[in-house]
Amino acid sequence: MSLTRRQFIRNVSVAGGALTLGFQLTGCSGKPLQLGSEADFQPNAFLRIEPDGTVILQIPKAEMGQGVITGMVTLVAEELEVHPSRIDYAMAPVHSAFGDPEMRLQITGGSASIRVYHEILRQVGASARETLVAAAMQQSGLDRASLEAREGRVRSVDGSVDLGYAELVPVARTLAVVSDVALKSTDQWRWIGRYDQRVDAVVKTDGSARFGMDANPEGCLTAVLLRCPWFDGGVESFEAVEALSLPGVVAVFATEFGVAVVAEGYWPARQAAGKVQVNFTPPGGGLRDSATISAALDAALDGEDFASVRDEPATVAVEQGTRVSARYAVPFLAHAAMEPLNATCRLTADGCEVWVGSQAPDLAQDVASRVLGVPREAVVIHNQFLGGGFGRRAAADNVAEVVAIARELKRPVKLVWSREDDMRHDWYRPAMAGAIEARVHPDGRVSHWQHRIAGPSINQQVLPVMMGAMLPQWVPGGPRQWVGDFVGKKDFASVEGSKELPYAFDGVSVSYRNVPVPIPLGYWRSVGHSHNAFVVESFVDELAHAAGIDPLDFRRQHLPEASRHRRVLDAVAKAANWGNAPPGRFQGIAVHDSFHSCVAEVVEVSQVDGKVQLEHVYCAIDCGQVINPDIVKDQMIGGIVFALSAALHGEITLKDGAVEQSNYHDYPLLRQTDTPPMTVVLVESSAPPTGVGEPGTPPAAPALANALFAATGERQRRLPLRLG
Amino acid sequence: MVTFTLNGREIELEVDPETPLLWVLRDHLQLMGTRFGCGMGLCGACTVHLDGTAIRSCSTPLAMAAGRSVTTIEGLGGNHPLQHAWVEHNVPQCGYCQSGQIMSAAALLAANPQPDEESIRQAMSGNLCRCGTYHKVQQAILSAAAVAQWQPAGEDAS
Ligand code: FES
Ligand code: FES
Repeated sequence: MSLTRRQFIRNVSVAGGALTLGFQLTGCSGKPLQLGSEADFQPNAFLRIEPDGTVILQIPKAEMGQGVITGMVTLVAEELEVHPSRIDYAMAPVHSAFGDPEMRLQITGGSASIRVYHEILRQVGASARETLVAAAMQQSGLDRASLEAREGRVRSVDGSVDLGYAELVPVARTLAVVSDVALKSTDQWRWIGRYDQRVDAVVKTDGSARFGMDANPEGCLTAVLLRCPWFDGGVESFEAVEALSLPGVVAVFATEFGVAVVAEGYWPARQAAGKVQVNFTPPGGGLRDSATISAALDAALDGEDFASVRDEPATVAVEQGTRVSARYAVPFLAHAAMEPLNATCRLTADGCEVWVGSQAPDLAQDVASRVLGVPREAVVIHNQFLGGGFGRRAAADNVAEVVAIARELKRPVKLVWSREDDMRHDWYRPAMAGAIEARVHPDGRVSHWQHRIAGPSINQQVLPVMMGAMLPQWVPGGPRQWVGDFVGKKDFASVEGSKELPYAFDGVSVSYRNVPVPIPLGYWRSVGHSHNAFVVESFVDELAHAAGIDPLDFRRQHLPEASRHRRVLDAVAKAANWGNAPPGRFQGIAVHDSFHSCVAEVVEVSQVDGKVQLEHVYCAIDCGQVINPDIVKDQMIGGIVFALSAALHGEITLKDGAVEQSNYHDYPLLRQTDTPPMTVVLVESSAPPTGVGEPGTPPAAPALANALFAATGERQRRLPLRLG
Repeated sequence: MVTFTLNGREIELEVDPETPLLWVLRDHLQLMGTRFGCGMGLCGACTVHLDGTAIRSCSTPLAMAAGRSVTTIEGLGGNHPLQHAWVEHNVPQCGYCQSGQIMSAAALLAANPQPDEESIRQAMSGNLCRCGTYHKVQQAILSAAAVAQWQPAGEDAS
């Protein structure tokens, strides 16, 4: 999330009187946390040490592959003086103590987890350690200077005292928690920046990791849901006589979300679903086909009614340079995480329990409580490993559905989406269009950069839903939608990555026009950066060629000397041996700052007989201090694979208001055989850590488009790109 | 009634023989390590071994397993050289595809103990990974291939 979005959400929270302090070392507002037993030493909401010495860290963020558990465990381990592999972890329950201090929701997004928590978690470890040492002081009568904490023990310098943390728990739990402990200096770090394992690797290689899909409470049935294929419709009637006669089928009934088919297992449920006849309400009017949506976006670029998000006038007259202009367009995209959406619900005496892999468990709780008509506190969310998130699992539509099904069924039930359901009922990365122009001067200077962006607003749709979880539940939907509509006019998610144009051009204007569409929209890995980096970095390349200057030199010329942009560009250029590609090889470059990290990438392609092939991708990132180098590299590579899948294949199209794609054959992803070798360079930095989950994604599509231009001389301005 | 060997143990099941093996494993036997990704043989998340060969359990009816031997990720036992290599190389990100990746890799190594990079790429091309762990998968297979031959407990010697 951009800073503006966070600030906005914070302001909304304050205005609504619902401000809860997301982080308190020694307790929390509202309902007290019940974790572990009385006998545990629990210095704060995050950490507890059981009498047998077991250390358990509550993870306030969703683990969807980005390595947040390993990162958080490492940060705590460093100060607690316990080896990272000896810290157990648990997915934190929904509680104000685990709300993101910036976003006010217990949400995982915006590549923010480590940036926001790195100091907090070191403090968590340090204050626990010092309290244990205080217990040792009491037990031994020695002073602080004579004791040292190391490897889960407190020892005296002279060797006379040697106490394991387990032995100190009974005393430590009775002491006041030592706070405001000075943190180790960087040169004292043993694991931060060095620990190179993933603490969740074993359970993810022996099959024992539990995803939402694996929840299985006693007596659990399986449901599938037949949803209206177009997004503005519902169920009118259905007929299920044959379906109900099939073996294993338990019930077929309508809910507000579609017709539920419940059976003893997924297979009989899916088989029976194929026999249910559903009449859906007729589709509405408006923008219902990809072609009409593209045309509407393109036409919108010619209209008025743009909201300015940045406007710096030029100092030179407009006549002086050569005008370069272009139009770009990107399609709707699906998340297509490997684990299809699902959720499991069991009704309780006063509410329900839900098992789900969620990026926003408090949103899931809010949604469930509304569907069931009970207070939020009556809903318990058991968060699970996420089989990929990428923004999709910040929504809780799957939770709403399963709770509605359980409400009618009154038995434990798991709702399983098919891959087809997942593809056709996503919250899509919006299609966007851009018109961009600038003046190039004979000396290579650029003036009058004007970028107009037209497309639907994600936050107009999503903010009202998220605010439902941030505000008291009596706040009606109307004002929330009003805020969504208001934010939609200048949606930061539509312009992020364009608005912050880093080049020192003379005169920059960026503006946005919201073109609503009746299609659910959501955050897709790197959100607005995913399309704006493509447009901006492709067009900068066009300007470089118009100026007759090497694309790397051109970028460097317009970037401040000491900028992070320059540093990552230089690092990636060196790794890629920029400018010296072997014969038959062509390179394209792009640089983009997102989520407080700066990434440059070079894509190298070959061309033989008009056929272009990916050969290598080089990447350099400055993300401040690195907690786990291997995970950062994996996030860069994974982000690039994600981006290249979209750049080469990704396109969701609509016909009569329904999504045409259904599975991995018509929405293909890069496979083992398509993925080129990659090199990642971590640029050294002593700045605090910044995002890594998303920043690898934005530069890849423009770097590829620029490489294709180098190879073919043809400028492709629409995604997905064609190879030759 | 269908009888087959599962991870080295003989079992008998009263299940519709048309049911895909994937759902027999997950819904009837509560073996959750085998994953559902696409249901169409496109992603490889559901890969298990049938008499030592990697198959897509989502598209294989239970009837096909009758009288034969099925090995799932649980049956690899956790000590397979590939599983060690996977941990050592930090292959998994979200982890959802990894049971399938490992089962495909295990079948590959059983058939070709010293695969080169190209044969690894080809053999693994049916296993999608949305997180993009392909390079790590390749490195881990190469390093496991360097380890001595190994025979899984539940697998036929075929
Ligand atoms: S679930 Fe079987 S191949 Fe995808
Ligand atoms: S590790 Fe997430 S899909 Fe492969």
